[in-house]
Amino acid sequence: MSVNGGSWRRLTARAAMPVLAILVLAGCGGSSSTGGGLGSGPLLVGVLAPFSGADASFGPRYLAGCYAASLSINGAGGIGGRQVSCQQFDTKGEPADAVPAANSMIAGNSNLMGVVGCTSDEASTVVPILDRSHIPMFCMTGQSEFNKSTAKYFHRLVPADSYDAYAMIGSALFGPNHAPYKRIALVFGDDIGSQTFVGPAVAALTKLGVTVAINQAIHLGAASYRTEVAKLLQATPDVILTETIGSAGTYMKEVKQQNGGKVIPFIGTSATIDPVWFKQVVDAIGLPDFLANYTAVDLKLTLQGAGYDEFVSQLTAADAKYPGSNALTYKGKSPTVHLYDGIIMTALAMVAANSSDPVVYNPKIIEIANGVSGATVVNTFKDGVAALKAGKAIRYVGAAGENNFNQYNNSQQGYNLVTMDKDGNEVVIGSLTEAQTQQVIDAGGGA
Amino acid sequence: MELYVAALGFGLISASVIAIAAVGFTMQFGITNMINLAYGEVMIVCAYVTWYVNQLGINAWTALIGAAIAGAALSFVLNRFLYAPFQRKGTNLIGMVIISLAASLMLANVLLGIVGYGTAAYEVDQGGLLRWNGLVLTAAQIAIIVIALLLMLAIHGLLRYTRLGKAMRATAANPTLARNCGIPTQRVIDVVWLITGGLCGVAGVVAGMNSENFSVASGAGYLITIIAAAVLGGAGQPYGAMIGALIIGLVTELSAAAIAPEYKEVVAFGILVLVMVLRPQGLLAKRGALAAAG
Repeated sequence: MSVNGGSWRRLTARAAMPVLAILVLAGCGGSSSTGGGLGSGPLLVGVLAPFSGADASFGPRYLAGCYAASLSINGAGGIGGRQVSCQQFDTKGEPADAVPAANSMIAGNSNLMGVVGCTSDEASTVVPILDRSHIPMFCMTGQSEFNKSTAKYFHRLVPADSYDAYAMIGSALFGPNHAPYKRIALVFGDDIGSQTFVGPAVAALTKLGVTVAINQAIHLGAASYRTEVAKLLQATPDVILTETIGSAGTYMKEVKQQNGGKVIPFIGTSATIDPVWFKQVVDAIGLPDFLANYTAVDLKLTLQGAGYDEFVSQLTAADAKYPGSNALTYKGKSPTVHLYDGIIMTALAMVAANSSDPVVYNPKIIEIANGVSGATVVNTFKDGVAALKAGKAIRYVGAAGENNFNQYNNSQQGYNLVTMDKDGNEVVIGSLTEAQTQQVIDAGGGA
Repeated sequence: MELYVAALGFGLISASVIAIAAVGFTMQFGITNMINLAYGEVMIVCAYVTWYVNQLGINAWTALIGAAIAGAALSFVLNRFLYAPFQRKGTNLIGMVIISLAASLMLANVLLGIVGYGTAAYEVDQGGLLRWNGLVLTAAQIAIIVIALLLMLAIHGLLRYTRLGKAMRATAANPTLARNCGIPTQRVIDVVWLITGGLCGVAGVVAGMNSENFSVASGAGYLITIIAAAVLGGAGQPYGAMIGALIIGLVTELSAAAIAPEYKEVVAFGILVLVMVLRPQGLLAKRGALAAAG
């Protein structure tokens, strides 16, 4: 077929219009990453976490925080008008699955403003990928390798697992409603994430002269732990320090069964403050025994004030808007609260930097979290945007309270001693003093 | 010493649960030439079916019958509408394994959408405790051992003394010859999927009772042990699977008593590797599938 000059011109003119239209639309819809201006089109927060597998309960609690944050941001007009949405990327709790999940998330979403999740299951493998791609992230890992992280885009609002271990020992020694426990059992999973609690705990207990009655590394997800429990009972511990996500119900039921119907007091990590964990253990040992024997340690969240009120309000809205998310279940749960704050801080950083380029807005996250001299304290995204528009420097004190990032992008707030009520709501029963905390940390050799 | 006696008892419970599941799994392979990696997920589906029935106030032990029916129906459907068409097209064994893996993932994710990621537990009375020289077993655990024994005897009777059993063995040995001899092999295979699916359903429930609670993720964990028991005994050999289950159940618990619990599976699978090195066909395999059944 030959094309003469006239028809070619007509053809190119006809073809040029849709091509031009596509280019214009693409320009509108895509993420601007030029470093100047907030761009246009929707923005995405990736929730990169286990949504299936043994740790499948982790993902939904992070997603709930993301939903609440996106509603708070969108309700205040978005980030320079850009609406924020959340999408889950399932790592299955396995590094081998997490890498392709992270890669496809990055490759398929040029409008990714940040990532939340990245638990101990997969953080070691996905943090370098996200960091190389310049994607700000708020990770829920307590692994000690991140205590002095050099990843610029990594942020952690939860303490190292070793601090959880110290807090649990503090609870065993100084907690309310019991005499100091003298024989302590450690029952943790045999995976790397779980075992990070054990070393610091053993070091601290040994130095403090407390007997480690037994130290068991159990295989999470096993069908039963009867022989392990028989060994534990032979060691006659006063208390069990544990986490055993996914297996605590099985283990504690067998303790009760073999111990003549009597449950040994057990202290959980902050990860056990979770509705799934609560239900599993209550189903196994019964509510009265749970309430009488369970305590845990949790991050010292304020859970009050304008920031928390906004969080609860948006979580309530998310619960209605996303049926099946059970978002309200996570009210007051530290991972949900923390990641909500992380997303709000990221959004405010974008507004403050007036840029959708992570290279430009990433440093602003810590500036907004820690505040600079004379900064105006804001508790919500809406107030933050208003203050920024008024030309003020801001410090975001959010749903979880103040943040204080160190040079390694770690922020910690101390610990509460807690339990749960009959509905699985967290109840604060005490806290560790500065001196008590320091005593245990010093004994354990620091973080 | 008491600890070892206790571990022996606990090993018997584990072995009972594994045996019910492994016999069904290995019969599927031995007779229909199908390594069904969706077996663990079918177990969990049945465990949840029973859980829902149990939530309606029906005793979990009675609901076991429902689990067997659900397992039989699901396995039958899985074979008739997914596996069999591929097998008719001549898909090789590796291809069939991949298809069963896909079925496993589909079942797990559909189930996850329905029941969520949380755990479920049966409301079942554990009954009194039997204590003897360190042995501690609840009435419910003894019931699991008895159920396993009865089912194993039933499978033995079926394979040894019934026409159907003979037809199964003939189909396993040489399906073409069996068909030429007038055995309706397709019908035999359908019945095999129904029977092994029933075993799978019962195994799912007793595994859930044994663990006190279970979740969608539990299926994959069960499958590893089931395959190990089946391979140890000789792939495709029901009696071999029974012996494999006993060895794995006892070794895991006794090694947990003797050394640190994190090594108990290492020891069990170490024995599996050792047997595979010394006797690659497994403990009971002689020639062809189900040969040991006589």
